[in-house]
Amino acid sequence: MKLALAVILPLFASLVNLNSPGHYVNIGVISISVANLLVIILMVLVFVLAVALPFPHKKEHGA
Amino acid sequence: MTTMQDRDREAIVAGLPEDRDMWTNKLRRKFYGKLPPEKLLPDRQPAYVSSWIYVFGVLTLAALAAVLLSGAILALKGPDWWHNSPEGHFVNSTHLWSVELFFFFMVIHLWGKFFMAAWRGKRTWTWITGMVAFLASIGTAFTGYVSQQNFDSQWISTQGKDGLNASGVGALFNVLNFGQMLMWHILLLPLIVGVIIVVHVLMVRLRGVVHPFPPKGAKTHPANDAPWTGKYRRYDILKEGTTALVIVFVLTLLFSIVFSSPDDKQVTLQQWAQNDPVDFVTTATGELSGSTISASYGYPYNNVPGSGQKLGPISLPSIFGVTIPVNPAKDFVLHPLATIAFDPSLGSALSTYNGANSAQQSKWLDNYTKALNKAQAVNGGVVVAPGNYGPLPVMMSALLKMADNGGLEASLVANHGFYGTDYTKPLLFLADGSYLGNLAQQDHLLGTQWGMMNETGNFPGQAWLWLYTFWYQVQPFASSGNADVLVWSIMILLSVIMILVPVIPGVRAIPEKVKVYRFIWKDYYHEEEKAKV
Repeated sequence: MKLALAVILPLFASLVNLNSPGHYVNIGVISISVANLLVIILMVLVFVLAVALPFPHKKEHGA
Repeated sequence: MTTMQDRDREAIVAGLPEDRDMWTNKLRRKFYGKLPPEKLLPDRQPAYVSSWIYVFGVLTLAALAAVLLSGAILALKGPDWWHNSPEGHFVNSTHLWSVELFFFFMVIHLWGKFFMAAWRGKRTWTWITGMVAFLASIGTAFTGYVSQQNFDSQWISTQGKDGLNASGVGALFNVLNFGQMLMWHILLLPLIVGVIIVVHVLMVRLRGVVHPFPPKGAKTHPANDAPWTGKYRRYDILKEGTTALVIVFVLTLLFSIVFSSPDDKQVTLQQWAQNDPVDFVTTATGELSGSTISASYGYPYNNVPGSGQKLGPISLPSIFGVTIPVNPAKDFVLHPLATIAFDPSLGSALSTYNGANSAQQSKWLDNYTKALNKAQAVNGGVVVAPGNYGPLPVMMSALLKMADNGGLEASLVANHGFYGTDYTKPLLFLADGSYLGNLAQQDHLLGTQWGMMNETGNFPGQAWLWLYTFWYQVQPFASSGNADVLVWSIMILLSVIMILVPVIPGVRAIPEKVKVYRFIWKDYYHEEEKAKV
C-alpha cells in the first residue's frame, strides 16, 4: 500500500507544475503574482455571482 | 414523587425546585433558555434567507474542518514527515489548499455580511467575533508559513521579524524560532480561532440572521432585534453542512492532485559557504566589526543606543528590552571558532585577535573588509591581496571550513540543546549576507516586490496581506526608517476600525447607502412589491 502510494502520488501530484518561475503583473507601484491576481478576481467574481444569481425556491410557510 | 422521565423538556431544563440554587442548574437554565434545541439545530429559516451569499458561512466552517483534519494528519507523523515522503507532501498539499479555500470563503462571507449590515439588531458581537476570527486566522496562517523550515519560511520569518520587533511583539513572539512557531500554529492559535468561531456560531444561532432593510414605503416591518414575523422556509442545517463538507473536500483533493504544494529546500550556512564563500566571509567579517544589520539591530537582540524604530517619540521594543540575546561577533564567529579543537594555528590566531586592543582589531577588520571587495573564491576558499589583516584570514578560513562541513549550523542551532528548533542565530547570520536576499529576489519575495503576499513559483500566496504589503510600496513608508512600526500601527488601527464597524457612525451606514443588499434580498423585495400590487 505504502509503495503504491509512493509511486502513484508523485504521478498525480502537480499535474500542473506551479514550481516553474513565477509570473507577475506590474502596474505602476503595484506588483502582483498572476496566481494571487487570479484568486482575487475569482473571489470578486464568485461574490458577484453569489448576490446576482437566483436562489432555488422552496416551499414557504407563514410565520 | 415526580420522576425526571415524566417531565417535558422545559421542566427537565428547569430541574427540580430544590435544585434551582445549584450552579449547574443555573447554567443549564440560562443556556437552554437562550439557545433551545430548535435554535441550535433549526429546520426553518426566514424566507428572505434566499441568496447564494448565505452559503459562504457554512462553506468557511467546512473548509476549517478540512484544515483541522489535514493538520491533524500532518501532526500524527511529526513536523518533518511531509518534507521527506510523497504521501506526506500530498497531505501538506491538502492542508495548503484547504487553507486557501478557508480564506476564500471567509472573505466572501465577510463581504456579504458587511453589505447586509449584519450587525443590526443586537448583532454587534456577532460581527466582532467574526472579524476577530478572521484576524486570528491570518495570524494562524502566518505561523504556518514560518514554521515549515523550508526556504519560504526562512525568508518570511527573516522579513516578518522586523515588523513584529518594531511593534514590541517580537520580544515574546520569535518568528525565527521554528519550534515556538509550530506550537503557536498547531495548538495556541487554532485553540483561539476555534473558541472564537464557536462563540460566533452560537451568537448566529442566538440572534438569527439579520432582517432585510425595510422595503420602500413599508408600514410594518419587524424591528431588527425582534423575531421575524414574515414567511419562513424549510432549512435543513445538517444537509447544508454535509453538502458544504463534500464540496470542500472534493475541491481540496482536486487542487492538491492537480497543483500539489511548494516546498523549496531550506538554505543552509553550508550551502551559503559553498556557493558564495566571498559573501559568507564578508558577512562574518562584518559581524566582527559590528557593521551588519544584526550587530546594530537593537532590541530584542541587543542593546545598541540609537537603534530600533520609533513611533513618534516612543520606542516600543525598549519596553521589553533584550529578551533574545544575540551578540553577533561572539555568537556567529568567535564562539563557534573556539569550539574547533586540534588546530594550533587557529588557536594562536584567536589568542592574537582576542588579545589585541580594539583599535588594532578595527584596523585589521577595516583592511580586510576593503580587501574583500576584490576577493576571489578559489577552490572553496577566499583569496585576498596581501595586506595587514592580522589573524583574520586564518580565522575566516577556519569559519568558512566549519560552515562548509555543516558544523557551524549545528553549532548555532544546538546552542540551547534539546530540540534544536531555534534558528534565530543561523537565520540572523544568513540574512545579514546577500546570498539569501538574492535567492529571494529571484522568487519575487523581496519587500519591494510585494513579497509578503507571494509564494515561491506560481502558487497563490497570502493574497489577504495585500493591504499590509501595499503600505511598504508608497511614500512616506517606502523610504522611512520607521516603516515597520508605522505600517503595523496603521494596520492595527484599520483592524480595530474593521472590528468596530457596527459602532462607527458613517462607516456603519455605508451598506445602506451602496444598496448591494437590494441584490442579496431581491426575492424578498420582489415579493413585497407583488404583495403591494
